[in-house]
Amino acid sequence: MTASSTTAPARAPTNRDENWKYANLRALSRISFEATAADRRADPIAVALPARTTACRLVLIDGEYSAINSDALPNGAELRIDTGSATAESASVDHYYLNLNRRGRRETLRLRVLEGQRVQLEILHVATHVGQPAIEVQIDSSAELTLIERYISLDTATAVTNLALDLRLAEHAKLYLARWQHYASPASHIETLNLVLGASSECDLTQVTSAEHSETAVSSRSTVFVTHAGEGARLHWHSATIADGQQQHDAYVRIDHQARRVQTQQVFRGIASGRSKIGFNGHMLVGSSAHGAHSGQSLKTLLAGTEAEANVRPQLEIYTNEVTATHGATVGKLDADMLFYLLSRGLDPGTAESLLKWAFVSDVLTRLPTVELRHQIEARLVLQLPGAIAARQSSAQETAG
Amino acid sequence: MLEIHSLQTRIGDKEILRGLNLTVKAGEVHAIMGPNGAGKSSLAYTLAGRPGYEVTGGSVRFEGADLLTLAPEERAQAGLFLGFQYPVEIPGVNNVYLLKAALNAARKQRGLPEVDAFEFLTLVREKMRLMQMDEAFLSRGVNEGFSGGEKKRNEILQMLVLEPKLALLDETDSGLDIDALKVVANGVNSLRSPSRAVVLVTHYQRLLDYIKPDVVHVLARGRIIKTGGPELALELEARGYDWLLADAA
Repeated sequence: MTASSTTAPARAPTNRDENWKYANLRALSRISFEATAADRRADPIAVALPARTTACRLVLIDGEYSAINSDALPNGAELRIDTGSATAESASVDHYYLNLNRRGRRETLRLRVLEGQRVQLEILHVATHVGQPAIEVQIDSSAELTLIERYISLDTATAVTNLALDLRLAEHAKLYLARWQHYASPASHIETLNLVLGASSECDLTQVTSAEHSETAVSSRSTVFVTHAGEGARLHWHSATIADGQQQHDAYVRIDHQARRVQTQQVFRGIASGRSKIGFNGHMLVGSSAHGAHSGQSLKTLLAGTEAEANVRPQLEIYTNEVTATHGATVGKLDADMLFYLLSRGLDPGTAESLLKWAFVSDVLTRLPTVELRHQIEARLVLQLPGAIAARQSSAQETAG
Repeated sequence: MLEIHSLQTRIGDKEILRGLNLTVKAGEVHAIMGPNGAGKSSLAYTLAGRPGYEVTGGSVRFEGADLLTLAPEERAQAGLFLGFQYPVEIPGVNNVYLLKAALNAARKQRGLPEVDAFEFLTLVREKMRLMQMDEAFLSRGVNEGFSGGEKKRNEILQMLVLEPKLALLDETDSGLDIDALKVVANGVNSLRSPSRAVVLVTHYQRLLDYIKPDVVHVLARGRIIKTGGPELALELEARGYDWLLADAA
């Protein structure tokens, strides 16, 4: 992602722009990022927050670091908070919201994991009004970070988040990144991620997008740029989006392979129920210098509502001969053979369908890096996949017994 | 227990069963044999209520009730079990949950409370020992990554846990080596009782060396064209089906 202060800043995207074809731009265009809310950083959060998934949790309220609600940073990591906006502007339409963030952010949270250190932490984003969080993460060579990022809303008014997240891995660094967007009240979520992988570094990214209730009005847009900059870098991407009601979720993920023997495995699973819309555009670019690169894509969406809509789009651009690339994309309904099998065992249709939906996203859920997080996600998904969670819990208990 | 009268089915425009009659009494084991494409698997699917198999005529009564008016899950809850020829893999849904959910569905139908965890595990472990299955299978996805033989054992395991009144086993012997065949046959034999019935769909006499049928039928061109005792299977093994097909033509 390049930025230049000499070029004209980007215009707002429209649905005519290829990478924004399925974004809910009508909702985004109504957002005022200029709105300011009372500074709530110094207030302890009155409501019960979700249980921690790691020993250390940092809390951001509407994009700003709240020391009183955060834990002390563990050894091996450094945190710096720089106040003020950023000036660099990009001309790319894909960076329109990043530019807004740069201009509107009040601070930038800079996290660094020191060489050879191993750190686990959670960043809890609490949205109450309008927030433009800016986070930069640097993982030094041979360091390892497990980062759990979760997004919740507290108030009943529509919360707006416009995130800029920048992650850089030095050589031999490892990042286990789990991201969970789960709003309980109306929310618009926009994010621009930039991930740069150094030589022999490895990122295991798992992302779940869901909402507390089917009627919760949530729309999200995720714009992601990944660059395999160093030889032998590896990315394992697993994301799941579960949408219902009139929710809309759209993602554009560009993964740029620029070095030798780099690897990407990308899995996306979406379940669109009700009148929801899901879009996922996975753009794989293999540059001329990426000899021996491997990229694999499996993008599947399940249409579980007669008025639901899903668009999954794999894109592959290859500029070298020495590459192995596979991709597959499907939009379909529940597998009729699987459904009949479960019915033939006496399960009622509702339970059988929920189980199959659960099974559909299990490829992603099983990749979550901590058991605590997995259990919390499973416990919330019960509202959207009733019956399935009972299956998971029952199974765990039986096998433990 | 099962009375099929003049059953006719089709898939799309293709006629499959053309006036099939079959009566199975409690305590009996019936074997249905026949050439490829005769309609054997279609009969099993039709009885289990698989979508796409349209009944165009005839009747099926199971325990006195009209089976054809029941949904697939209601047929299962009523005590009908289909052992699939090609059991489907369902990654993400584990075996132990499916077993418990299926058992509880059947118990609910019988007016019994849900099985408790200890009782359930004791039952499942006992049946797994009989089927010579490792307990690790319980926590795996339904049939996920199972070999052909393991899938067939898993089908029989499900049947043993559910204790159906009528088991329809569709080519349960296909793809099994001799040792696995004996294990599967042991499982089926352990379910035999005066109050249950088994219908075996098979191509080969060898299964019937281990599960002795009371009645053997030949199904061809959508109908039962011959019925006999166990000796009929031996005759078919020796002579094939051509002589019967010629007679039926």
